[in-house]
Amino acid sequence: MISDTGSGLSHFEMELQLKAQELVSVLNEGKLSDAMEVIRELHEFRHQTFFSEVGHLTRGLHEAIKSFSSELGRSLDVDGTPQTETDAAERLNYVIEMTEKNAHETMDRVDRALTFVDKLDKQSERFKDLLLLVGQLEKEHDSLNGVYDRTCALKEESEQTISTLREELTDIVVSQSYQDITGQLIRRVINLVTNVEDHLVALMGMAAQVERISGVEMSAESEDEQTNNKNPIQAEGPQIKKERADVVSDQDEVDDLLSSLGF
Amino acid sequence: MNKDMKILVVDDFSTMRRIIKNLLRDLGMTNVLEADDGQTALPILKQGGIDFLVTDWNMPGMTGIDLLKEVRSDPNLAAMPVLMVTAEAKKEQIIAAAQAGVNGYVVKPFTAAVLKEKIDKIFQRLG
Repeated sequence: MISDTGSGLSHFEMELQLKAQELVSVLNEGKLSDAMEVIRELHEFRHQTFFSEVGHLTRGLHEAIKSFSSELGRSLDVDGTPQTETDAAERLNYVIEMTEKNAHETMDRVDRALTFVDKLDKQSERFKDLLLLVGQLEKEHDSLNGVYDRTCALKEESEQTISTLREELTDIVVSQSYQDITGQLIRRVINLVTNVEDHLVALMGMAAQVERISGVEMSAESEDEQTNNKNPIQAEGPQIKKERADVVSDQDEVDDLLSSLGF
Repeated sequence: MNKDMKILVVDDFSTMRRIIKNLLRDLGMTNVLEADDGQTALPILKQGGIDFLVTDWNMPGMTGIDLLKEVRSDPNLAAMPVLMVTAEAKKEQIIAAAQAGVNGYVVKPFTAAVLKEKIDKIFQRLG
């Protein structure tokens, strides 16, 4: 069996040269049946070489798909039975859920803030009655001269502030639309990832068949190596599956773990 | 514009439905129903009583453009004012929506002022 593609092809060329020379020499000697035998050998040799090359190519593809799918967080089985959702797609869905939850929380707070703004509006109404009283008193007491006008100006200023505040709060609500926009884009990427994976599963199945026919064995140890070599403390970002046994679900668990270590 | 009119807001993102509802409330319109795609919206519309439809385009199940076509092809709903609020921004799409008989088209992300202006415009035209 040829070990790699480069040497396989140069070996093929060398062998071709030898056979060609052999063919010429048996023909020169007039041995026609020997010549036919050489041609048959040549034919078979070519066939075998191509088959073996295809096998190696397929094996390379197989390995590449495997390492890619482990990046995606899904193990692709040779028989092509994928899990329903990959880690990659799941992570992206989590982003959508997370931003949706946060957008709603922000809007909850804005709603509460708006009830205070309504309260301010009502207080402003009540202020009007007080102002009328000040206006009357001003006529009776010289010392209150100008107080009514100044208070009116202040009230107007305050009402302006309230109205600006209301606009700002509305803008906060409207700006939550980022969640919709980014969510739509992320959904497209989820579809893309899922499509790529489906195609890879199909390719994987084809590769396995070609490997079987061409007699190139998949090495089982290469997969084990991959899993074993994975650094257990490599940064992974936020954890989505909090119920995983190897993941803490809240700060209390962190504290418990640390205190069990003597902290 | 009748403040008591019944409005159906259709969007697959709850965030967006809530934003639109809030802005409608600012306009004094509080009689608002929600649906998360064309498929769930259509039965609500067919039941009757809805005066104004605000719909997204890109939704699973039935898209907003298909919902619009359904509405226009139903004699009971054909006259209903429809505002499309969507991230779809290709000229071809906007033209298609116009040809399907949309009354207004707002591209996301939008401002409160733009949404209010488009709604006002729709009801001014309708008289």
